[in-house]
Amino acid sequence: MDRFSQVFNEVPLAEVHDLAARRAEEGWRYVQILAVNTEEGIDLVYSYMKDGLLENDTVAAVGADDAVPSITDLFLEAFVCENEIHDLYGVAIENIAIDFGGMFYQLAEKAPMTVVSPEQLAAREKAKKIAAAKAAKEAAAQKEQAAPAAPAAVAGPTEEEIQAKIAGLDPEKAAKVRAAMEAKAKKAAAAAVETAPAPSAALTEEEIQAKIAGLDPEKAAKVRAALESKAAKAAKTEGKGE
Amino acid sequence: MGSFKLGGMTFGSLFKKPETLLYPLETKPAPAGLKGHIVNDASLCILCGICAKACPSDAIVVEKKERTWAIDPFRCVQCGSCVRACPKACLAMDSAYTPIATAQSCTVLEVPDPKASA
Amino acid sequence: MGKATVIPFGPQHPVLPEPLHLDLVVQDETVVDVLPQIGFVHRGLEKLVETRDYNQFIYIAERICGICATGHSIGYAETVESLMGVEVPKRAEYLRIIWHELSRVHSHLLWLGLAADAFGFESMFMHCWRLRERVLDLFEKTTGGRVILSVVKVGGVVRDIDATQMAEIISVLDGLKDDYTKIMNTLLTDTSVKNRTVGVGHISTEDARSLSMVGPFARASNLPYDVRSFGKGAYGDLADFQPIVATEGDCYARVKVRCLEVLQSIEIIKELAAKIPAGDIEVAVKGAPADGAQASNVLEQPRGECYYYARGNGSKNLERMRIRTPTSQNLAGMTVALKGCDLADVNMIILTIDPCISCTER
Repeated sequence: MDRFSQVFNEVPLAEVHDLAARRAEEGWRYVQILAVNTEEGIDLVYSYMKDGLLENDTVAAVGADDAVPSITDLFLEAFVCENEIHDLYGVAIENIAIDFGGMFYQLAEKAPMTVVSPEQLAAREKAKKIAAAKAAKEAAAQKEQAAPAAPAAVAGPTEEEIQAKIAGLDPEKAAKVRAAMEAKAKKAAAAAVETAPAPSAALTEEEIQAKIAGLDPEKAAKVRAALESKAAKAAKTEGKGE
Repeated sequence: MGSFKLGGMTFGSLFKKPETLLYPLETKPAPAGLKGHIVNDASLCILCGICAKACPSDAIVVEKKERTWAIDPFRCVQCGSCVRACPKACLAMDSAYTPIATAQSCTVLEVPDPKASA
Repeated sequence: MGKATVIPFGPQHPVLPEPLHLDLVVQDETVVDVLPQIGFVHRGLEKLVETRDYNQFIYIAERICGICATGHSIGYAETVESLMGVEVPKRAEYLRIIWHELSRVHSHLLWLGLAADAFGFESMFMHCWRLRERVLDLFEKTTGGRVILSVVKVGGVVRDIDATQMAEIISVLDGLKDDYTKIMNTLLTDTSVKNRTVGVGHISTEDARSLSMVGPFARASNLPYDVRSFGKGAYGDLADFQPIVATEGDCYARVKVRCLEVLQSIEIIKELAAKIPAGDIEVAVKGAPADGAQASNVLEQPRGECYYYARGNGSKNLERMRIRTPTSQNLAGMTVALKGCDLADVNMIILTIDPCISCTER
């Protein structure tokens, strides 16, 4: 018996006031206005609700020079959110019914929410890298489809795949996994060239690193010991076999 | 005008036990699970640092080289994230509040090296 | 025909519970116009989302307000769960709502004490807060904290309430109900209380609707809007939920609505305690919200409807977390209610909207 639902729409800046007028006529309740600081500009989200349906109308990428019309002539209670957005984000909203002129919160800096902190910058770089890796992967997949005569040997992980894998991990782990995968790539290339028989069961140092990269020290030590003994055994049997 | 409506309650409270305690002569027994302060069992700690990463107020500092685990009880908000995140279950929440003090301090614990004692 | 004087009211004032500043334009003891101002406790909490990941931020969301702390943690957790597509077990939903309704009882009792103190009825203030101590002791026993519970996490709840504790909750609430009903009847039928509150700060239904007011403030003006009637989560399993509405639209109606809501919350807790299913209390939440994903959510706090919005950016830190609290919506309504009242009634009217300025400014 859940009567609540939410919808996200896009709305151009020029229609904001007309949309508000329509909502007021049809009996919608005003809920709130919020702003998000994105790279392209400031996104404004206007929310209205009627009978359990919450509509969020997003105005994408408002620039620093764009003048946003105020909806306080229709919904007086919007003055709180509009003054707040003007103070925290520096968006110029015109004709607010009760306009504090930048003194609503009396902050020490102008538009503090538009200051991008180093953590947020890192998160945005990461998101961009993941998107780039995904796009590159899709391009590579398309190329492979076009050229069916691929070599039989399994190619080692490419640079894009490395990027994709480590894009989501934190720096320490990322470095370890990258080292492991590059080693794997080298080995696979060497194997393809030599057309060697069934790959040996022994695991190299790089693969050991890859396996223990994410585990905590105690467990890592145990796993390392196990893998090293496995490698030793495999080397012995290989020696015997040859 | 009206009658003295709270009369019954007021008259009764002349004879009932007061709702307040004569603190510090009497104290309320702490219920089980009261979030007081964090204690660490050093013999089980492996200095992995997961508790420091989980802490929302950066109260825990783990130095692996010096083998110390330190918590600032005045930064701690007693949320219990570290207790839940610890892989060795060596952290626990004790029900005694940190006593008031005139200066801030850190609780530093030396974690003994299991290899050294073996 | 006197001149208009401007009297500054707040943020420090003996009867004002919240740091709100009002410039009252007064003509012969009648308030003609009001200019509200807030911004004294702005802490910039929404920007902290950049340095705390989505699991750690719940502890900041709780500390936005001391009275509605549980509500904020539940609303935040529900929004992030909706953002990441996590479904919480039924038992966890029930437990969250039980704590949330207990928090409503404690908030309304706190408010009732403050309202009584505002017109000088100090012994009522003491009685209400004495009863509130029983609820805080319940919180302490079941969660370990009295006001900031820290018991909700993204994915469920952290502690369980077993059958003995549930029975204890019910028995304490039954005792509370008996004592509280005596107090409530006193408050609602006493002539001096009626003299101070009836006819004061009237807001009509049309004004309430056009100003989009929320919470008991709106329900006292015959506007039956309550988020709990949408039936989200455990509220959907209640046999019958009707928001409590009063028609007079003045301070007395608001006091009556909140008094009756305490009794309604006690009944809801008893019903949910009887119906609570067995099961897990949490699910493991892994990974991070997708880049560009958005989610919004509404929740009925003791003061009204609270709106939450979250947007992800692919990393463990959210891109944006927005909490719009009920008092920021009601400020315009308060301004309209204050026009035309006596100077002595100003603090009574401000109190009856149940302001929570630390929520409004974050």
